[in-house]
Amino acid sequence: MENHFVTSKLIRVSLHEVENQLELSLRQAFENLQPKLRPPFSLELPDPQEYLELNKAIVYGVLCEPNSSKTHIKHLHALVTDGYAFFTSLLIGIVVELYVKLVDSAKIQLIWVTKEMIDVSSVGIEDLVVSLLRRIGISLFLEKWECLLDDSPLVLTSALYSFLRLLADHYRVLGVVKLENVKRLEIKFCVKMFREQLHLSLKIGRDLILLLQDLSHVSEFREIWNDLVSNHCSEIYQLKTSSRYFLLRITPEMETQLRFLLGNVKLGSHKRHQIWFLKKFLLGPEKETLLIDIVRFVCCVIHPTNEIIRSEIMPRWAIIGWLLELCRQNHHIERSVMLALFYDWLFFDERIDNIMNVEPAALLMVWSIPQYPHITHSLLEFLLHLVETYDITRRDTIVRGLTSAFREIERKGVIRSLDIFLANPALAPDLKKKLANLLSCHQEKTVHVNLNQVSVLSKQTVLSSEANLKDCSTKIVDTPDQKLDNSVENPAKNHKVELFKEFIRPSR
Amino acid sequence: MQLFLKDIVPAAQNNIDTRFIILDKAKSSAANGKNYCIALAADETAAVHIQLWGDECDAFEAGDIVKLTNGIFSYVRNSGLILRAGKRGKMEKMGEFTVAFVETPNISEIQWIPDPENPKRYIQSGVVSAYSRIFPPLP
Repeated sequence: MENHFVTSKLIRVSLHEVENQLELSLRQAFENLQPKLRPPFSLELPDPQEYLELNKAIVYGVLCEPNSSKTHIKHLHALVTDGYAFFTSLLIGIVVELYVKLVDSAKIQLIWVTKEMIDVSSVGIEDLVVSLLRRIGISLFLEKWECLLDDSPLVLTSALYSFLRLLADHYRVLGVVKLENVKRLEIKFCVKMFREQLHLSLKIGRDLILLLQDLSHVSEFREIWNDLVSNHCSEIYQLKTSSRYFLLRITPEMETQLRFLLGNVKLGSHKRHQIWFLKKFLLGPEKETLLIDIVRFVCCVIHPTNEIIRSEIMPRWAIIGWLLELCRQNHHIERSVMLALFYDWLFFDERIDNIMNVEPAALLMVWSIPQYPHITHSLLEFLLHLVETYDITRRDTIVRGLTSAFREIERKGVIRSLDIFLANPALAPDLKKKLANLLSCHQEKTVHVNLNQVSVLSKQTVLSSEANLKDCSTKIVDTPDQKLDNSVENPAKNHKVELFKEFIRPSR
Repeated sequence: MQLFLKDIVPAAQNNIDTRFIILDKAKSSAANGKNYCIALAADETAAVHIQLWGDECDAFEAGDIVKLTNGIFSYVRNSGLILRAGKRGKMEKMGEFTVAFVETPNISEIQWIPDPENPKRYIQSGVVSAYSRIFPPLP
């Protein structure tokens, strides 16, 4: 059978590829309605179905016919009845699903039409701009500053998060002329945000400090850093960063694959998926810094249900163990990844923080003990080192946060007892002593501990029926003093421990 | 109707519609002036050896999800039981990564005999190997 090959004006298509349904529907609408897309335009109101088709046709026209794009947009302005909601949703679909395949001219047009939608404050513009933020650079945000500030201030905080994160990477690469220009624009935008919209900037929450830390050596940020550290640090630490920010440095393709890996792939059948993910996203210069973003994303965005936790599906701690193994050669990245893993522990407050953000690190430390005590050791050592060095002026805050995190993972039944750390012969005595001091457990415990004392979140954990979609998080609901019944053991547990040995070997 | 790989039976006609993910691919060889290569494919139910022909060899990589229309599963000399598009079928990439799969049973590593009750049909008579002998599972 011959492959029916259609060349698209919108996307690059390879020979043996299923026709993309979104592209097909836009192209067909454009072809069917072509006579109606040229002036003079009909004065009759289209019926609902034709309205949708006209929107599709205009999207295709705008992206594929740059010379006629202004005419197409005028047409859209004349017929719009839904605040541009459907038109904007089509653009979001294109950004999420087709962006990597778009021909270059269509990418340019996409930016142009997004600016048009910002000007008319279209319904859904925030989602469109944030989707684009996961794909493109800076120019849009400087150009449309005023409009965005009035209508979509949260988009600007997303842009600030994104560009601060990118700047840290860009400063690792020196002497690339094109990058120097981008860096200058990014700095201009970020400094403008801090100078003119500090209250908005602070809404990012505690991860703002993490981002700025990597830029404190940059002259333009030194003053901002000093000001934040001396005047705003305590309040920022108390503000949990919304999970929507952690999506910004993860492309939709990466997000899809990570969600699939942690929601569908069984531990033991994971190796090929692991290799494919590595080859596609993590090989190549400067890709290692993505590990930081992936760890924040896995901890703070992907919150599996109890059903998944109890199944043999790949647990988050195993993925993180593998990611840590991948950056062993680069100590700077390794430390940054570990900080990303433990960051929420430092300021943990059970009233506002989600136990699921600290669960992966806790379980990684626990499951590593039988065969990989050195992993548990290095993680605990790093964590205790943070207490002494991370922010000396606010050491009390950090001690309170860490203690609170440890107590909460025990109280919620993530682990059966902290004795797994405090009384484990596999861990160094000085480490146990430091931890005991931190937790104010001054007497040495002598309880014999084995792995059966460890339990994952149990069946009795009640999941909130209305997961807050904005926060993408599964909250665990229980009464303040209720101790979870850990009688339900995980049938996949021993299997997981054995497989972990294979899992963390990096596929370099 | 789209078949799971476990439900595919050898036959001499192009009537198999299925989808799978490519797990591994051997180096290309040449025959009759055209490239071909053997690959390992799988879905949630089974694995199978597939043959990529001509420009299909470069079009598909490990991790690609492939839709096969009007494919044929039959014996190919020197290669054993192979699933392929043949002249009347087509293979198209429809995505990447997002298929959970198993590597055993491998239906190319099964011995088939004519069904005594219906000689035009084949039934399984034994397992040659649980896994592919060309593409052993990852250690």
